[in-house]
Amino acid sequence: MADSSRRADTVTLTIDGHEVNVPKGTSLLHAAETLGIEVPHYCYHPGLSAPAQCRICLVEVEGAPKLQPSCVTMAQDGQVVHTESPSAKRMRQGVLEFYLVNHPLDCPICDMSGECKLQDYVFDEGREQGRAREPKRVFGRDDFGGDVLYYGDRCVMCTRCVRFMDEVAQDARLTVVERGDRAVIDTFFESGLDDASFAGNIVDICPVGALVSKDFLHKARAWDLDHTPSICPNCSQGCNIDLHARDNLVQRLKPRENQEVNGHWMCDYGRANYEWINRAGRIESPGVGRGAKRRAADWQTALGSLLDRLRVSEGAGVRIVGSPFASNEALGTLHRLSRAVGTVTESVFRCRRAEDEDPLPGFPLLVRQRDLAPNVDGAGILGFERAGSDDATGGLGAAASHDGILFVLGDQLDDQPGDFGADASLYVYLGTFDSPAARNADFVLPVTTFTEEDGTFVNAQGRVQRFEQGLQAPGSARPVWLVLGALLAALEGGNPPGSAADAFAALASEYAAFAGLSHDAIGTTGAVLEPAHA
Amino acid sequence: MAISVKVMRRPEAGRTSYMRATLKGMSLTFKHLLRVKKVTLEYPEDQPDLHPRWRGTHRMEVHADGRPKCVACGLCPTVCPANCIRLVGGEDDQGNRYPIVYEIDEFRCIFCGMCQEVCPVEAIHVGQHFENAEYTRDRFVYDLDRLMEQDHPTTLLWDPSDPRSE
Repeated sequence: MADSSRRADTVTLTIDGHEVNVPKGTSLLHAAETLGIEVPHYCYHPGLSAPAQCRICLVEVEGAPKLQPSCVTMAQDGQVVHTESPSAKRMRQGVLEFYLVNHPLDCPICDMSGECKLQDYVFDEGREQGRAREPKRVFGRDDFGGDVLYYGDRCVMCTRCVRFMDEVAQDARLTVVERGDRAVIDTFFESGLDDASFAGNIVDICPVGALVSKDFLHKARAWDLDHTPSICPNCSQGCNIDLHARDNLVQRLKPRENQEVNGHWMCDYGRANYEWINRAGRIESPGVGRGAKRRAADWQTALGSLLDRLRVSEGAGVRIVGSPFASNEALGTLHRLSRAVGTVTESVFRCRRAEDEDPLPGFPLLVRQRDLAPNVDGAGILGFERAGSDDATGGLGAAASHDGILFVLGDQLDDQPGDFGADASLYVYLGTFDSPAARNADFVLPVTTFTEEDGTFVNAQGRVQRFEQGLQAPGSARPVWLVLGALLAALEGGNPPGSAADAFAALASEYAAFAGLSHDAIGTTGAVLEPAHA
Repeated sequence: MAISVKVMRRPEAGRTSYMRATLKGMSLTFKHLLRVKKVTLEYPEDQPDLHPRWRGTHRMEVHADGRPKCVACGLCPTVCPANCIRLVGGEDDQGNRYPIVYEIDEFRCIFCGMCQEVCPVEAIHVGQHFENAEYTRDRFVYDLDRLMEQDHPTTLLWDPSDPRSE
């Protein structure tokens, strides 16, 4: 106690026999969390206000006449809290029994099954047998519009969704109607959640299966999904996400907490746009030769003959068409290789741009940016310039008729004519899908998407963020840094990069913006670049 | 301690009669000759009685209107130790969750019966059935229609009068 009175900004209390020192104004629920004690809760969410209405986080505080809701009771000096005392446990069991009076217990057909808080808490502490004999009330389901379905029977009336729309989206479209056991969440008017751009988050924060995604409906079970920390590829905000994959296909994207970037949220545009990652028909093996002379080859043959071509054409002018969907490691290694074999006269990328930004009012850091690609700023740092129009077409006139070395990385050249690169002395196409404009390529090399490799993006805030490999690459597709790193090592000597971290280390030693950084230093929450570079 | 050898006393050759032992053996033989107990089953004219807990090839129960009882909850492919069940869930035109694809590879199946035990809606069952011969290997992957067509009796995994083995 003497210790905490000296530092007036913290308090010391005892929770379940463990002493803990927390900043003033910390709730008991948070203080318990720092000790690794989870107090059950529904209505409380760290990104929202706490109305203390679900009554399941009640804990015993010595000296208090009644059990206290731990989500709104602030920690005080010398408090002694019991979360597992007989009275607290009896109360939780009682509250859970009330929740189950009208709950349909349809876990086998509920999409939340496996990650449901009601399921977890009842399994941990609930009664083995229910005692309710009366028939349950039935609401059926309600289409809220947008991507959201509402199953009123499963709802625990925590009102997280109502408060999210009020406080964070600041677009009050949901409310509680009726009272008592007839209470349901409903939308105002007919429009529902249509064209609300952040409404998908209410599915994430729903602790039970009351709000489910139409897109994910009946698609996969929660326990079948592999979770991989990644970065949302759909705009340059770079929201931290988890890729949820099954059978080597992305099933859904979920936000991952990062208070510096996206808080607990992500936008519906980013959430819904993942099917392109699963698109079939990828290039699976390297191809050598132009047009009709194209032959499939293995990597050793393809890279061997590419290396011979690069050696004899040293000193030529090099033009690069990059992509803002490629990682820093890919773009940086390509730029380094281009400089090693000739003089880079142009390096461009094309990026689709939205009409305007779409901010989240209650969390101003999160904005759906105009640039609809994840690594626009990284490409800028690595020497690429924006070309073409806002729908990512045009702007490649000089590259199309270039007579030196031409590298295309990740840009599918959908708008380009069939004679693209016909005059180039060497045309290398590194991509995921074949394209009519790749017909004249001397080498077509299959590369991975960001889901199939480790790497980094730089978001619009100038923050380098890491993503991890979540899927297996099709056929013999390889990461760009691995392919070009091997070529670069053969040309310049030294060891080829063995991992994306090695490839990034090579960039850090060359580009001032990344100086002193490494994959380890970037960690899971990213690292901000100096404003001068970003 | 030195190893000691026990010397057995045996009758000398030519002074032993095996008559008593022979008669004893033959009496057993003739006893069985007279007490006739048939063990050979004239299969396939005669069918064997299968034990109530016999676990054979699967069967999917159906509702009265012909829909499968399965709700595609995904517990059987999760619990299956042989990983022989493939399930893709979806929604039918009445808004019910149902299996779009439900396949059991009977070759991979080890007939443990855990799919039946775990099923929350008593849809999938192992059956009292053993005649599974087919002309091609791919016929051993039973799809949903095939599983619903099966009409052999289902297995009792526990005694109905004593479900908890008490």
